[in-house]
Amino acid sequence: MFGRDESKPENIIDSNQYMVRTANRCVLFDPGGAEIFAPMMAAVLNYVSVEQITDLFASHQDPDVISSLGLWDQALTNAKLYAPAIWEGFIRHFGCESIEYVAIPDNGATIKLDSGELQFIPAHYLHSSGNFHVYDPEAKILMSGDVGAALEPIGVPMFVDNFAAHTEKMRYFHQRWMPSNPAKKAWIDRVRKLEIDILAPQHGRLFKGDDVKRFLDWFEALPVGIAV
Amino acid sequence: MNNQTKTQFIAVATITSELSAVVVIAKEISLAAANAKAIAFRAGDKAKGFQPITDFISDLAKETIERVTAINELAVVLYQVTVDEFKIALSCGKFEEVIKNSDGALYADSMQKPLNNAKILMHDYRRLFKRDVMLLLTQLESVMHHAQTARVIATYSRIEASQAGEYLQSLQAVAESVDKAAQSIHGNVQRCIMALSLLNK
Repeated sequence: MFGRDESKPENIIDSNQYMVRTANRCVLFDPGGAEIFAPMMAAVLNYVSVEQITDLFASHQDPDVISSLGLWDQALTNAKLYAPAIWEGFIRHFGCESIEYVAIPDNGATIKLDSGELQFIPAHYLHSSGNFHVYDPEAKILMSGDVGAALEPIGVPMFVDNFAAHTEKMRYFHQRWMPSNPAKKAWIDRVRKLEIDILAPQHGRLFKGDDVKRFLDWFEALPVGIAV
Repeated sequence: MNNQTKTQFIAVATITSELSAVVVIAKEISLAAANAKAIAFRAGDKAKGFQPITDFISDLAKETIERVTAINELAVVLYQVTVDEFKIALSCGKFEEVIKNSDGALYADSMQKPLNNAKILMHDYRRLFKRDVMLLLTQLESVMHHAQTARVIATYSRIEASQAGEYLQSLQAVAESVDKAAQSIHGNVQRCIMALSLLNK
């Protein structure tokens, strides 16, 4: 995981970027905005070379998720971008000429990574109308995009250490950014069937162990779409 | 965005805007030519010398429109090259930043190749841009030449109009409008050339 970038401009949201690496593949998840491309790439180079980065994933179309695409497009050769089918025409505005856009259908998909696999789990309307999370069945990690996100200052711990206190940092974000209660329920029903050790959102701290269940219960009870 | 890039974007926008005005004026000339033809037809022998001039004005207007349309297409290409150059310059800057930030990283060296490729591409775009600017300048000068020709025709038209008896005023008005339009086109094209000349420095 990459994040907690102290050098990022003050007025842009901090984001978590994730990387999964196998013998022959390296996937970057929600690689971030153009503003953080340089520190992100520099951090990645501690683990893999530029040529070893084979795949990118964008959970949805937001700039903090994938506006760096044009830069990855210049840097990478023979890479693929997995992203929601409905956003293809929009995400391409960030620049996607050499990278192959692999459109994820609404019902999700599974990709093989050497001997393992990654599952793209539908999370539509959470918050984007075309939205996917990524489940790694081997590591039992769910990268949950904006679900579980909290707006916190730089330098907070990696994991939630006091769930009750943490809910206050998540409440407004989820109520205001997430538009649909039925979509929320569908996602919770789907995700409860997965075995999850770590829930890894795109902003703020990660949840592990019992806090994953606590989060799902809290989220289930939370009314969302409050702006109307 | 650096000053050179800003100048490039402004130059391309100037050309597009000025050339749109040229097309409007050229269409007005074409209309004036059609009008003159009708008057010359009614005037018969009194405007015998004026008749071939109307055809010439009409052809000149048509050719100007065609040339300007072609120049506009080239301006669109120039705009795309400017955008591409801007994007690749941004990439170069970011890649250099990566190299600076990744000092000591195990795979820091692997960023050098994308940076080199981006620099080559940037160099190519600059070369393309310069080539397209030269092409544009040549084509703009040909439109300028058309405008000068139109002014000469306007002078001839005045002379011919003076022998057209009761049609003198109508035909002189045509000659005036052609002359005025040619002057306007000259000004528009001059501004395009000036905007491009700034890029050639």
